[in-house]
Amino acid sequence: MAGNTLIEAKGIYKSFSGVPVLQDVHFEVKAGEVHALMGENGAGKSTLIKIITGVYTKDDGQIYWEGKPVEINSYQDCQKLGVACIYQELSVIPPLTVAQNVYLGREPRKGPFIDYAKMNQMTQELIDKYQFPLKPTTVVDNLGIGQRQLIEILKGLSQDSKLLIMDEPTASLSGKEAEMLFKIIQKLRSEGVSIIYISHRLEEVYMLSDRLTILRDGKNAAVLEKEDIIPAKVIETMIGKVVDESAGSRKMLHSDDNAEVRLDVKNLTDKTDRYRNISFQVHRGEILGLGGLIGAGRTEVVRAIYGVDKAASGEVWLDGKKLNPSPKASILEGIGFVPEDRRNQGFIPLLSTTKNVALTNYDIVKINGTSISDADELAMSKRAIEAIDIRPSDPNKQVGVMSGGNQQKVVLGKWLMRDLKLLIVDEPTAGIDVGAKDEIYSILEDLAKQGVAVIVVTSDLQELLRVSHRIIVMRKGDIVKEFKNVEVTQSKVLSAGQGVEEEAE
Amino acid sequence: MKRMNQTTMRRLISIGMLLILVVLFTILAGAGKGKFFNFDNLIEVVRDASIPAIIGVGVTFIIITAGIDLSTGSMMALVGMTMANIYAYTLLPFSVMMLAGILVGLLCGLCNGIIVAKFNVPEFIGTLATMSIFRALTYIIAIRDANGVIKSQPMNHSQYTWLGTGIGKFYYVIIAMIIIVAAGQITLKYTRFGTNLYSVGASKKAATLSGIDVAKTRLIAYVITGFTVAIGAIFTTARLQSATTAIGMDFEFNPIAAAVVGGVALSGGSGDVIGTLIGALFMATLENGVRKLSINTAYQYVIKGAIIIAVVIFDATYKARMDRKAREEGAKEGLE
Amino acid sequence: MMKNFNWSKYSKPIILVVFIVVLSILRPKAFLSLDNFSNVLWSVAVIGIMVSGSIFVFLIGGIDLSIATLCAFSAVVVVSVTHMLGDTPVAVIAGVLAALVVGALAGAIHGIIITTFKIPAFLVTFATQSIFLGLAMVFTNNKIVSCTVPAFTAIGAFKILGFPLPVYFMVIIALISWYILRKTVYGRYVYAVGGNPTASEISGINVKLASIVCYVLSGLTTALGGIVLASMTQQASSSTGAGYTNDVITAAVIGGVSLLGGEGTVPGAIFGAVLMGLLNNGLNLMSVPSTHAGLVKGLVIVVAVAFDAMQHADQSRKKVKKVKKASA
Repeated sequence: MAGNTLIEAKGIYKSFSGVPVLQDVHFEVKAGEVHALMGENGAGKSTLIKIITGVYTKDDGQIYWEGKPVEINSYQDCQKLGVACIYQELSVIPPLTVAQNVYLGREPRKGPFIDYAKMNQMTQELIDKYQFPLKPTTVVDNLGIGQRQLIEILKGLSQDSKLLIMDEPTASLSGKEAEMLFKIIQKLRSEGVSIIYISHRLEEVYMLSDRLTILRDGKNAAVLEKEDIIPAKVIETMIGKVVDESAGSRKMLHSDDNAEVRLDVKNLTDKTDRYRNISFQVHRGEILGLGGLIGAGRTEVVRAIYGVDKAASGEVWLDGKKLNPSPKASILEGIGFVPEDRRNQGFIPLLSTTKNVALTNYDIVKINGTSISDADELAMSKRAIEAIDIRPSDPNKQVGVMSGGNQQKVVLGKWLMRDLKLLIVDEPTAGIDVGAKDEIYSILEDLAKQGVAVIVVTSDLQELLRVSHRIIVMRKGDIVKEFKNVEVTQSKVLSAGQGVEEEAE
Repeated sequence: MKRMNQTTMRRLISIGMLLILVVLFTILAGAGKGKFFNFDNLIEVVRDASIPAIIGVGVTFIIITAGIDLSTGSMMALVGMTMANIYAYTLLPFSVMMLAGILVGLLCGLCNGIIVAKFNVPEFIGTLATMSIFRALTYIIAIRDANGVIKSQPMNHSQYTWLGTGIGKFYYVIIAMIIIVAAGQITLKYTRFGTNLYSVGASKKAATLSGIDVAKTRLIAYVITGFTVAIGAIFTTARLQSATTAIGMDFEFNPIAAAVVGGVALSGGSGDVIGTLIGALFMATLENGVRKLSINTAYQYVIKGAIIIAVVIFDATYKARMDRKAREEGAKEGLE
Repeated sequence: MMKNFNWSKYSKPIILVVFIVVLSILRPKAFLSLDNFSNVLWSVAVIGIMVSGSIFVFLIGGIDLSIATLCAFSAVVVVSVTHMLGDTPVAVIAGVLAALVVGALAGAIHGIIITTFKIPAFLVTFATQSIFLGLAMVFTNNKIVSCTVPAFTAIGAFKILGFPLPVYFMVIIALISWYILRKTVYGRYVYAVGGNPTASEISGINVKLASIVCYVLSGLTTALGGIVLASMTQQASSSTGAGYTNDVITAAVIGGVSLLGGEGTVPGAIFGAVLMGLLNNGLNLMSVPSTHAGLVKGLVIVVAVAFDAMQHADQSRKKVKKVKKASA
């Protein structure tokens, strides 16, 4: 089935401001194969793809296309070679038809006019060839996300692409849509199209791919042939056997079941089925890690607990009191929330540290009549700056221009000014440098020591093990595993999130 | 599972609105000579709708790209006054005068396009500013009498005013409207530029990824509007047989209202010129009917404003519902 | 960076001084006269009153295109109600209250439609602009209605310590606005909502309610502007306040209020109003007819907003770079 080498990247190096992201990476895709690319967050997958598609320029190394060395400096360059990238963020235009989208900017013309007959016919031919469940004249408005993704694929195929790059294509698809996509991928392979398939989901990779390249810390960890793609082995390779046995990757979990229950979540179920029947408790002084793959429903669950989104059914109890969650009510009850998308949801970029810290705390800032005490507001922000070392320490500095780590400290800082019972943090250290990460962990640990219940949602396994006293893992909207008072390793958590049966140790 | 798509549905709604209005006025204001429903009056309605519809072609292009143009009324006055100057002070042939008018329209459109597409000034602010700039320029170049007082400039030479008439009741402006609307619709549906307009309006990011020059597309839409405004100005001055500084006062409202009623979503990416034509007919029928019923014309402003709000609210809620439905059904259908 | 910072800090007083100096040199007698001074003040006062309320709308990233016609409608209401109730001082008070209620209601309607149906503010206020114009015409039967009741004309003409009453109104309203924005919790919320509505929602702010209140405040000051204008001119018609939409927006923009939301202060907006007053006056003294002034004002808006937009684009580009670096 698989033939000659289609694309080969040899000795690729790339670093960003001195930090190496890819080191001597070798990556090869053969004609007509589905080649999966896996690795933990930050392993270098997307950087490698961006180099292949001309978004980034490599520091060193050479790319070969069908054996010949090529330079790819822009997305147009890679398109010309015959590479098409199916964007995660879909780039189809809803008011146009399927055919118009497929040939957007390249419409066949008769004189000044678009030759619709020809365009529809060409699209129909493509659809027939690959057996897509689409019609050329359907307006995209009326299609689901899965079908829209197929249009993107068609667009690539219409340009005679020999290589399709799919980055987490099933992330926003329903189960049935995903099945349709898998069938199509198999069909494409049989037609000789190569596919680079990037996914966190092992079962998909296992089912679809002919070969698998695993990256770890910016280096090649392994290239596995189909028969070697065994879940346990893949996980082991992704995390690294040696690493898994090192201190940071295994941990004896300790949690005190006798501690008083602070948060009690009962049968929380989503309106659109992104999570269902979620029940768990968090105790006083406990840090609960919430693990699982991106899209497993973790963020949705914590947003419902805090009350940003409403759950369809289920109950949230805090310190024995039933809550009717809404952000305002939650804040007054002593719940703090640090959202996952810091820049868009976490803070007000144009405002100063002082005003960001005070934003949720005007019930405790001194107010004379209707007039906020500037001195008290400033004192609060200085307390926050001092307590967690926010830099720059100027309380009037706009938060928008600070580093990611300090922005996150501002977001956290406002909650530290309150008497918290529960703090929820979602991906607390995404995009933050190592030093600031440690500081944030110690803030969370201090809070727990003071009796606050803490929920940490994170996709970073190392982080999960580092901070958690107890871990629950979600998968496709369900809680699938709890690790309590046992020794846990990164592989175990990953296996649970992937739905892979752990072999007896 | 056959379902009518949103566009067709919306077209039927605007046609329905127009028909209901016609029936309503026929009942209230009567049929027959001198009343609402008779050939002569209906042709008047179409004539009144012509200029908003012509300018509406350009405005529709702009709105499809998710833009807006608040300056069309002032632009019309500026074009008219430019031609009045040529009329008053030169012996140039009328064809040259009209070409000059068109040139001014194109330049005004270019200004809007540059301000909006190149300098990224929000559309409604940029064109609000040029609205007052174009109007001021009109006053500056206005024709004055011996005492320096602004006067209305007659443009009543028969070689020009014939444009304000027609072949019998088939006014030339209606014929021009039919040609321009048809050309606009064909451009929109059958050329790459038309497709690009929809793409830019639906998603600037996606359009860029598909290799479409977003700034250029938006700019051309404004230039085309300048052209249609110039045509509108020519027919207006020919019909009035004069040019004044007051031409096009509050006019900018009309093509936008026509587009909104006709189903051109202000969020961009949908609607077409035929819709705007239906909308223009709707607004003209409304004005005519209110006149026939001898209601205080001031109510027109209230009714027009209220209709825009009602239609926009309807579109916003309807679209949200249809989109949700389409997604759900699309997700289901995908698998069979 | 440094250069930019200094400029933005001192640009306002510099512009103001340059403006005054230029006018003093060009038209020394006319400009520096006491009469002219109060002319400028009147013009500044009306714009100042209106921008003190509209700034709330601009701060949450909204816009109000109906300022001029709402101004006309409330002017018509105050005059008509005063007439209807017999032109007594009590009738004047009732008229003023009625106009203020109209303004507040109009604002509430704007706010509710905009936030409930998530329709762009410019579109809603563009439509209501037509409605208010029509209502003003209906109420007056499309004529000019005059009102020379002393209790009413006093609103615009009465002088205390040499300054006309509207100047005191402006100062009071601006102070109230400044106080709300600078000192109260609600003021903090307005800036937060304009800067990042999603983060504001998560921080427990009722974004919808906060926005509606902004439109109500804007409606109130617009109505007050209409009352003052009617009183100053002793009449009201559908064209009272014509051109003020642009004047108010321009005043805000040159006063450093970003139409993209989240940025701007009342002192800045008042500075803008003063500059607009001087600009109107200056053009007048230079014998530039009011009909031509739109050219200058339009250009000022375009330049100011284009500059603002470019700076924002610049900043976000820098941010993107930073973020890219950080995430790499």
